Amino acid sequence: MKNGHYQTRIRAIYNFISDNLYLNRPDIEIKGEHFNSTLLFGLLTGLNRGKELIIGEPGLGKTTSAEYVGSILYRYPLGIVWGSEISGHPEQTEEKIIGRPHLGELNKGREKVVWSDFAQIPVKIVDEINRLPETKQSMILNGVDRGNWEYLNEILINDEYSLFATANYQDRGTNTIIAPLIDRFDCLIESRHPGSNIAYTIGKEALVPHSLRHPQYEKELHQILRGDKPYEEKMTLAEGVCDLFGEYLKEQLGLEGLNKEERTHINEEMLGLNFDIDTNAFVRMMLAELSFCHKYGQKRSVETCEDGCHYTGYLCHHIKNCASNRLPMSMRKYAQALAWFLEDDGVDLEHIRLIIPYTLAHRIQWKDSYLSKKEGEGRNDPFQIYLVKAAAEETFQRYNEQREYLLEALSVGYRAFAGEEVTPLEGDHPIYEEIKKDIGVKDEKPL
Amino acid sequence: MKNPFEAFHHTGARKREIPLDTILKSKEETLSKILTGYEDLLKNEAKDLVWLMQYSTVIKAYSIAERGIEGLEYTAEDIEEFCYALDHSDQIPYLITGPAGIYISALCNHAQEQEICLHLRDLTVKINLLGYRLPTNKKLMVQGNVGDFTGIGLDGGELIIEGSGKNYTGAGMKRGKIVVRHNLGFNTGHGMTGGELMVGGRIKGLGKIVGGKLYERDQLIFPNEGIKPFYV
Amino acid sequence: MELEHIIQKLWPRVRKKHFYPQLPLPVVIEGGEDCALEIKSKQLSISSAFYDKLKEDMDGEEIVEAVLDHGITHYMYCPWDFHTHLTLYNEAKKVVRQKDQAQRAATYFMDVVADTYCVKEKDTNIAALYKNLPKTGVHEVLTALYEKIWGEDLGSGGHEELVNRLSRIPYLDRKNWKESIKKFTEVIQHILEEEWNDEQMSSHREPNPMGEHSLENYSLEEIDQGLREFAGAVDDLQEFKETVEDLKEELEEKGYGAGGMGRGKGNPLDANLLYYMKLAESYTLPIRKLPIEKTGYLHPHAHRPWEIGKPFADIDVWTSFGKIIPGITQIWTKREGETHGEYEGIPDCLIIIDSSGSMINPRERLSHAVLGAVCACNAYLKNESRAAVYNFSDALRGNKIVLEFSHDKEQIYQAICRYFGGGTALDLDDITSLLSRADNPDIFIITDMQITNLEKLIDFFQRIDNRVTAVHLGHNVHTTRFKDGMAKKKNISLFNIKNKEDIPKIILGKVKEYLTSPAEWR
Repeated sequence: MKNGHYQTRIRAIYNFISDNLYLNRPDIEIKGEHFNSTLLFGLLTGLNRGKELIIGEPGLGKTTSAEYVGSILYRYPLGIVWGSEISGHPEQTEEKIIGRPHLGELNKGREKVVWSDFAQIPVKIVDEINRLPETKQSMILNGVDRGNWEYLNEILINDEYSLFATANYQDRGTNTIIAPLIDRFDCLIESRHPGSNIAYTIGKEALVPHSLRHPQYEKELHQILRGDKPYEEKMTLAEGVCDLFGEYLKEQLGLEGLNKEERTHINEEMLGLNFDIDTNAFVRMMLAELSFCHKYGQKRSVETCEDGCHYTGYLCHHIKNCASNRLPMSMRKYAQALAWFLEDDGVDLEHIRLIIPYTLAHRIQWKDSYLSKKEGEGRNDPFQIYLVKAAAEETFQRYNEQREYLLEALSVGYRAFAGEEVTPLEGDHPIYEEIKKDIGVKDEKPL
Repeated sequence: MKNPFEAFHHTGARKREIPLDTILKSKEETLSKILTGYEDLLKNEAKDLVWLMQYSTVIKAYSIAERGIEGLEYTAEDIEEFCYALDHSDQIPYLITGPAGIYISALCNHAQEQEICLHLRDLTVKINLLGYRLPTNKKLMVQGNVGDFTGIGLDGGELIIEGSGKNYTGAGMKRGKIVVRHNLGFNTGHGMTGGELMVGGRIKGLGKIVGGKLYERDQLIFPNEGIKPFYV
Repeated sequence: MELEHIIQKLWPRVRKKHFYPQLPLPVVIEGGEDCALEIKSKQLSISSAFYDKLKEDMDGEEIVEAVLDHGITHYMYCPWDFHTHLTLYNEAKKVVRQKDQAQRAATYFMDVVADTYCVKEKDTNIAALYKNLPKTGVHEVLTALYEKIWGEDLGSGGHEELVNRLSRIPYLDRKNWKESIKKFTEVIQHILEEEWNDEQMSSHREPNPMGEHSLENYSLEEIDQGLREFAGAVDDLQEFKETVEDLKEELEEKGYGAGGMGRGKGNPLDANLLYYMKLAESYTLPIRKLPIEKTGYLHPHAHRPWEIGKPFADIDVWTSFGKIIPGITQIWTKREGETHGEYEGIPDCLIIIDSSGSMINPRERLSHAVLGAVCACNAYLKNESRAAVYNFSDALRGNKIVLEFSHDKEQIYQAICRYFGGGTALDLDDITSLLSRADNPDIFIITDMQITNLEKLIDFFQRIDNRVTAVHLGHNVHTTRFKDGMAKKKNISLFNIKNKEDIPKIILGKVKEYLTSPAEWR
């Protein structure tokens, strides 16, 4: 697939933001190209309607990177993005996050909801989400997951949206992000320090009115969002203003954002990219290690894996919880988005190996013994991401060694599932047991 | 329900075989056959895992071993693999050194090669009865230490032990040559009627020797004035 | 340059073939014409002299692709990591007993494995490369081996007996590499000896055409990790020690020294200390997290609908929009806040370790007592506390080490690992003196309790309030006496060990308990 047109525009956006707005170093490499992970994944999140959790030390551009990406991709002036952001603090209320009753109507005894900008616009940013108390986190769970927002028996459903949430590292005044909420994030990214040389240049040039702001369009959009019209109508009107802002961006900055139709088209292109056979098999192998338990049937966070199990050499022995079904969905989405961005014909191992650490890091609970072994090792990434990178490499080595045999096992699995009388292949790895379970063969290995 | 393995429908094994695969496969098959013969021997001879070292049991075990390996094609390396499997593998549930030694001796005696070298240094167990009835024109070299009754009933072959042996080495040998580079235990040469037994190290004790020659550190110690042949 | 251009052209294809190894683009070096490839810290370098020489017989792209296939397979398959490299070297050394020969045996074995893997699993021109390489010494035998196991005509032959034996080794079975390399080395042992002798006489060494394998191939982190895994995998301390001693120079040159008990040049490497250090890394405790504590004040936590009959005091006027209507009006529920607290101080730790004749010499065999002591030290040092060591045998005759509280890991390790092997008697004045240098430190004592002045020790422990964990080996009248003496002391925990392997776990369990309840010790 060599369309190239959309990809060129997205690359231009990437280059503009990295040259002018979010100054940082490239820290990942793929297909011979170097990218900054925060910016790249921000763009991918914006393109594939994902949900991203950005962590980092205070003041390192977590929120601003999300704001710039959201503003340009969705063509909302920065002022609107700022106005719609939710900030995490303990006294946040549902009325500030989702919507409130219309006071005039309320006085007349009628229920009518005034939805917040956050609920309405497709660019959703929650700043310092881990400062929200857990009850508030639960409140936005459904909205975050499906784009469904409910208040006073009314419901607002977002057609499309991307969510960016930021979190500082743990300190006084922060809570943990509840497990159901954190599992709903597709990826975890760190916004890093750019290094002293680049840091010095940030803010060195005179502050000019921000290039992504447009007071007039901001005002118009604000009025639309506050208005009484049905949500679908509002969005159509808003899209009109966004078109104008998009033209402004093109004239002034040479940037082309995306309208809704284009974003939808891109999504379809992404979904059309297939995984090659190796990527498919490797992901299955990885998922097997993250969900399998020989003794208890599957991994469960309330059951302890003991020493002496046949499978102590695999990831299932080092983790406490089971991988959720959202994990393969996130892997797929982002791998396809990345392959699309790089104008590749399909998703291959290089794409998936880059994506896995970022989609898995926040979802996995490692055992203390494993953490303590690894925490002293030198690394360039935050500990969570480093652990998954190392684990993924180990699993990849196993895949590399037994690739042919595994492909054959999966092929035999196909035939067995289709009803053919074949004997499934035996192997040491959990994936072979999973194949047997799928085709209804009992596991004979002793406990 | 949709077949979850749909994507692998057409991935039949893209197996590229190289000669190494064939060699290893053949080796495994041969080893498997050899192991089967050994298991048969144990079934017949080592009931309740007990095997008594007696003249009659040795003869009987040897003929069962010979039957077990009849028609088998193997090399000296296969014999070595079997020795290794005895010590390390969980394929062999029981290692009883008597029958094992007889079986190995049968394998050596019937091997195609005239000269066989067994590298047994890494073995933790010392195998008994190696070189039993080694025939003329056969040379068996063992790298490592051996157990009891080594070279008993030697029948013309040459047995070289690059290590030490234990007791009853060369017992009942009729002809041929045994060379042991290091030490031997008690009852060395017991009942030997011919041939040469040369020991590079020390001999702890001699058996009742009838004939042949026995050397300790290049010195002929049998026959000599101090030690007379034993006549039954 | 032609070679650079070819590399750039081929690299994407070769990377794809090998499933995208995380290696940078290979570079060209002048190099010697006898050696195709250098690998240093993941950077592959192809020798232009080698390329120019071989170009007369082979297509340029084929040469480069074959060399890259070889180099990448070393990275992706064999040896893959430093631990595997050390293991292979260690096993080869058991056969040849000579360092250089063992290194060479390991190198050749890794080459055979990597090349065979490549030939079987990938589309490669490695066979054609070997056809055009010089065939002398061991390379003649290996090329003959390749002919047999790959089924290719490489212009070699001969060495039938050796090749027959070498061809039976399962090179692609990773689980059996330890045995395979021993068999491999046994077969080529005499050739390795001849090679080595020739080199000693001529002072010239034939390079391996496909590059050497040394510590240069690995980063310090990889070496670190490899040593840790190797320490856990070897059967005994002596194996580890021997291997590390062999590689001492290379490790020190690379900057891996015992200074700071980690990396960086400093004191010469002590293999014994390194062994316990690496082994203890497998028994670490995580650094203590910030405790969650109550803030002590109530804060508005969440809204819930107001119901008729409920008090008005907590109505949130704002979210109720000034209305008192069921379904609209909301009240606050308040909760005591929780937040992350601060670290409490962790006390220092005094290790009292018995190194009398009845205890294992840690420099000869793995001493679980020493390992447990080292684990305890690590846990305290990691939490920024200090550790002191009282290592005693017959202390009253001077067989003791008294190390003051410090953060110096190397000194602490050396004090713990010291072995006297004499009688067993403590000097309580030493212990009292040490205890006075810290604020109520925790005490870990590891002994078999066959202490001549045990009664004095019991009296001493009865008088102190420090947290004490006593680990003793075996069960005898002394241990019973000690147990009876300590029965009423809540601050003293006693563990009778049946399996020595349990010592590190027990000690760590106790340390973990102490670290999570630091306030109690005040």
